[in-house]
Amino acid sequence: MLRTLALTAALAALAAHPGAAQKTAGTNTKAATLKDFLARVDTYVALHKKAESTLPTLPKQTDPKQIDTHERALSKLIQAQRAGAKQGDLFTPAMQALVRTLLAPVFRGRDGAQIRAEILDNEYKGAVKLVVNGRYPDDVPISTVPPQVLSELPKLPEDLEYRFVRDNLILFDPHAHIIPDFVPHAF
Amino acid sequence: MALRRALLPAAVLACVAAALAAGASAQPQGQQAQVPLPNKPNTLHFAVIGDNGTGDKPQYEVGEQMLQWYSRFQFPFVVMMGDNIYGSDRPQDFVKKFETPYKGLIDKGVKFYASLGNHDSREQRYYKLYNMDGKLYYSFKAPKEDVRFFALESTYMDQDQLAWIENELKNSGEKWKIVYFHHPLYSSAGTHGSQLKLRAVLEPLFIKYDVSLVLNGHDHTYERIKPQNGILYFVEGSGGQLRKGDLRRNSPLTAFGNDTDRTFVLMEIDGDTLTWNTITGGGALIDSGTFPRRKQ
Repeated sequence: MLRTLALTAALAALAAHPGAAQKTAGTNTKAATLKDFLARVDTYVALHKKAESTLPTLPKQTDPKQIDTHERALSKLIQAQRAGAKQGDLFTPAMQALVRTLLAPVFRGRDGAQIRAEILDNEYKGAVKLVVNGRYPDDVPISTVPPQVLSELPKLPEDLEYRFVRDNLILFDPHAHIIPDFVPHAF
Repeated sequence: MALRRALLPAAVLACVAAALAAGASAQPQGQQAQVPLPNKPNTLHFAVIGDNGTGDKPQYEVGEQMLQWYSRFQFPFVVMMGDNIYGSDRPQDFVKKFETPYKGLIDKGVKFYASLGNHDSREQRYYKLYNMDGKLYYSFKAPKEDVRFFALESTYMDQDQLAWIENELKNSGEKWKIVYFHHPLYSSAGTHGSQLKLRAVLEPLFIKYDVSLVLNGHDHTYERIKPQNGILYFVEGSGGQLRKGDLRRNSPLTAFGNDTDRTFVLMEIDGDTLTWNTITGGGALIDSGTFPRRKQ
């Protein structure tokens, strides 16, 4: 009886304020999209950690050969595990849309122009082809990601970073030096 | 090229003025300091390089010049402003772009403390000769004087790093707090210039916690910035790279600038006083001066 009354009251309130209902639904959709994205990221990080656990531990102070060997071995293992990876696996279409929505206010106005300039600041002029699960190109400088941008995006585990290649937002796995996924034209 | 208020001997300034009037380099050709800095025996000595890892001849010339000056002014360590290895960083690149150009210094036991630039692989943090101990940002206490250095990773200033630097600065009991990282908060260069969004989050912490000196690179020039809120800023981004003519003339920020030569900086801290000498790849002293630390 009480449940019926509560439901009736809620439906009456929604009928009186349809905007509130849309807002609630939008918030729920956003929360669900973020939750789904972070679950996919966690799955990737678990795969990364599992692959890394099969390799000799990289000392905190070592030589370039050991660093390079470790990095390339790790990338090979992850690439093999995600052999069929494609754009959108981590950044689903819903998450791509949400990223653009989250970043849009950041890139508006005078502040936005400064942020855009700092991201696009690098001097690399050549063509860049982004390949999901591929190696981040050695000759392309790593973009800066201003703190004002990072604060708008969901926090990542320490094994992953957000970076930009031109206006594309990429997920970057620095230990394996590969690109797990990206959002085309994020701003 | 911009040049203002250089703290040089009058004769050197006259030479610089003559060179500028002739439209030439700001480098006072042939000016070779015989006794750099105060060069006292028990003070802290160190060197600063940035944007150096090209593996090209000019980087080697700077490395050779650093070694020559080391014989007169022994510095136990060098702080690096990032872009330590341009392009690929396979093992052979570390040899060509770092170990060989600075071999003389490395053989003498000089330590290098790196920060990472936008051209650097994150995995350089594990390279033993960069002394980063696997960390993207870290601090270390200088072997002499009451000084702590804080190396930041300025391409990725997330909340974790901001919380870390605030905590480190707050809890640092040292009189001198010196912060270094790649992207300049103040720069008069045309290519990159001042990183305003980074400045918005870092500068308030530097002011609040009495940082005295900030060292940066990224722009391929040398520039000493007029003190900002009592803090001295340098852009030392011409340790291997050079972008000639990139400094905006008449920039209100510039205390002294050079965009015609590769450079490195020698620094000395004696009690409450910092002294610097800026040297070109050709061995000329082009900038020098002193600065007091900020008092807590």
